[in-house]
Amino acid sequence: MEVNEKEAVKEFEALSFSIGDQEMAFDVDYVEQVIDKPEITPVPKSKPMIKGIINLRGRIVPIIDLADVLGSYVDESKYESIVVVKYNDIEAGFLVESVNGVLRASTSEVEGIGSLEKYGEKSKGLIKKGNRLVVYLEVSRIIDEIAGEEL
Amino acid sequence: MMRDEYLGVFIDESREAIQRMNDILLEVEQDPENMEAINELFRILHTLKGMAGTMEFNTMMTLCHRMENVLDEIRNGRMKLTEDIIDKLFKGADILDQMLNMIAEEGTDELTDVDVEGLIGHFESILGQSPGGGKASGKEEKREESVEEEGESKEEEEESLPIEVTDELIHVAKEAEKKGFKTYYIKVFLKEGTQLKAARMYLVFHKIEDMGGEILRTNPSVEDIEDEKFDWDVDLIVVAKQDTEKLLKALSSVSDVDRVIIKEVSLEEVKKQQEKKEEKPKEIETKKAPSSSPASPATSKDHDKKKKKITQTVRVDIEKLDTLMNLMGELVIARSRIVETLKKYNIKEIDESLAQLSRITLDLQNIVMKIRMVPIAYVFNRFPRMVRDLAKQMNKEVNFIIKGEDTELDRTFVEEIGDPILHLLRNAIDHGIESKEERIAKGKPPVGTIVLSARHEGNNVVIEVSDDGRGLDREKIARKAIERGLIDETRAATLPDEEIFQLIFLPGFSTKDQVTEVSGRGVGMDVVKNVVESLKGSVSIESQKDKGTRVTIRLPLTLAIIQALLVKVNDLVYAIPIASIDSTLKITKDDIQVVQDQEVVVIRQEVIPIIKLWETLQIPHDEESESMNVVIIRIGNKKYGVVVDTLIGQDDIVIKSLGKLFRDVKEFSGGAVLGDGSIALILDVTNLAV
Repeated sequence: MEVNEKEAVKEFEALSFSIGDQEMAFDVDYVEQVIDKPEITPVPKSKPMIKGIINLRGRIVPIIDLADVLGSYVDESKYESIVVVKYNDIEAGFLVESVNGVLRASTSEVEGIGSLEKYGEKSKGLIKKGNRLVVYLEVSRIIDEIAGEEL
Repeated sequence: MMRDEYLGVFIDESREAIQRMNDILLEVEQDPENMEAINELFRILHTLKGMAGTMEFNTMMTLCHRMENVLDEIRNGRMKLTEDIIDKLFKGADILDQMLNMIAEEGTDELTDVDVEGLIGHFESILGQSPGGGKASGKEEKREESVEEEGESKEEEEESLPIEVTDELIHVAKEAEKKGFKTYYIKVFLKEGTQLKAARMYLVFHKIEDMGGEILRTNPSVEDIEDEKFDWDVDLIVVAKQDTEKLLKALSSVSDVDRVIIKEVSLEEVKKQQEKKEEKPKEIETKKAPSSSPASPATSKDHDKKKKKITQTVRVDIEKLDTLMNLMGELVIARSRIVETLKKYNIKEIDESLAQLSRITLDLQNIVMKIRMVPIAYVFNRFPRMVRDLAKQMNKEVNFIIKGEDTELDRTFVEEIGDPILHLLRNAIDHGIESKEERIAKGKPPVGTIVLSARHEGNNVVIEVSDDGRGLDREKIARKAIERGLIDETRAATLPDEEIFQLIFLPGFSTKDQVTEVSGRGVGMDVVKNVVESLKGSVSIESQKDKGTRVTIRLPLTLAIIQALLVKVNDLVYAIPIASIDSTLKITKDDIQVVQDQEVVVIRQEVIPIIKLWETLQIPHDEESESMNVVIIRIGNKKYGVVVDTLIGQDDIVIKSLGKLFRDVKEFSGGAVLGDGSIALILDVTNLAV
């Protein structure tokens, strides 16, 4: 049964956003909300990709520089929004330049990981929509990687 | 499926039952003639047996049943309550507790390393000497009871049908009758005081359906039954093929069913009757409740007593309380924002409403805080039993007194503080209280006294363990400390008693010459200190030779809200818990000296190392100015100073975890949302020092 599901073409929805000229997307299942970038309180001596924490309706949420996680660099002042995700009880906000909206795609439009080696398992592949090329990111891997780094 | 649904309730309620059992056993031990207590024990075991039976934990049920039988013999005067039996009952309570843990963890009541059979056998052999206590199984016995009581109120029920008969109901019944079914009116009485009523009724329904019967109507409704919205009796209209006797037998065998009334009825006639006298059923309805009171006056008395004790409570997931706290925080912040905004416009009419809003939010905050609090009795409850066992084991006589068990403390402490207190009690029994002979020789009362007390003091909860034993031996402690190289001889001679006594909190310190099973493994006191300090509290000890020892634990009222000093470095605010602050002072650059590469200041002849917060946190900082603010931190006996830019002031802050992504950051214990919505990081002062 599982095999069938994998092979069958499946529709899915992803939230697309831009970071440093590149369009990327998270599976909507992980996304809790999108907010404007508020004041971020830096946490000294934390990991470099963690830019600090914010107060999100009384909860303290860490803010992550996605470009840093993916091995590139974006000037922090360019970030305008935060995509808040939740995975495995960890809530985290990812800094993005702009949010483009929800993308409907099917698995047939996703090209394998081979072409995106630099992201490794942090990406599930490339979504091809007309002339748009969207990096389809794997939220769970990204968060696991940040959380597990010190282990 | 039903089992899962009720397992949590079962475990909670059984725990409470076992706890009560222990309490009452202690009472009975003091006064073996206390029939009321024995009756209560019997009742608790009976309930427990019923619950275990419902949940199909048969070993547990059997054990309860045997214990119950023994108690039954005793309360009927057929047997005497000996010390041996009390010990066995204690043992039984322990095993029941272990079973419960096993059930909670593994879902089975089969204990692998405990001889349950042996204990059950022991109870059986006790019973063997008595006429009434043979091998009657729980079910049989219950049926006897139900038959006995059945005659009593049967007549009252005979006339009425407290279920409204509709045409639809008649139609369904008629269809069934065509297929050879008979229509019955069944009234099921549960025993008064039965726990898990809904589960019990579920079993009744299940039984009927198992026999091929069908339940057409219930009063109260099925939903209400599931929500336990009924007293002890439920009315049913049932169609079944069996005869009255078979049904009666089957239903009576369900555990905790008191009695069952079954009548074959013709619904059409009932309907006619109901139409005739519409008001009457109501009268009967109200008459019914008292009529089903149990036969023995002793049990009904117990029941009244129990009723008084029960306060209305709801079990709430602690996570929900945290969410409520968060929302409260937001509310407070939102309010301050509104106040800020409105200040600009100076509208008189709004002032009053705002003041009211402030009051309400404050009240709300207080209540939410209180919800998190539980009486310390939750922790203290288990100690009387433990003290009894330990004292017995150590061959000492102890009068154990508990005071202030109503004192409330934060829920999160309840789980943590039990072990430290137990350590202290062990020490008091083992090291403190002398043997009877020794006490008499010293001219003290032969029975030692240990007092465990709790009280509120300002923003603290104070827990004290004191004994009237031999007290701490200054010389012995000093000698040991010198032996271990903890202090040198000259220092040992000059230190005041109080500081010598503090030495026993150091790791690996134990003065008891002989290591005993109870205490003296040299791990006790430092564990106590560690736990208490991790809860942001403190421990101190006072002692006088041959007069006794008193250990005092101080805990903050709650872990969720602490008082903190807010300080600033650059533009960022940090919070330092007031509990760990010794003092604050201003120094100039020239006050700082360097000793062995370490910056220090000398305050009242005391050399105190200092750290600059920006250096420790590795954040860029401008050249320091001439004068600086230093916060002196005190951890145990050590002090150090933290240099910051400015001191902002004291505030109550709500501690929030930074979450898993910051597990590697040891410098902060959490974050707090301040009144303006910004965040202050809370410094973990135990991890800052060099």
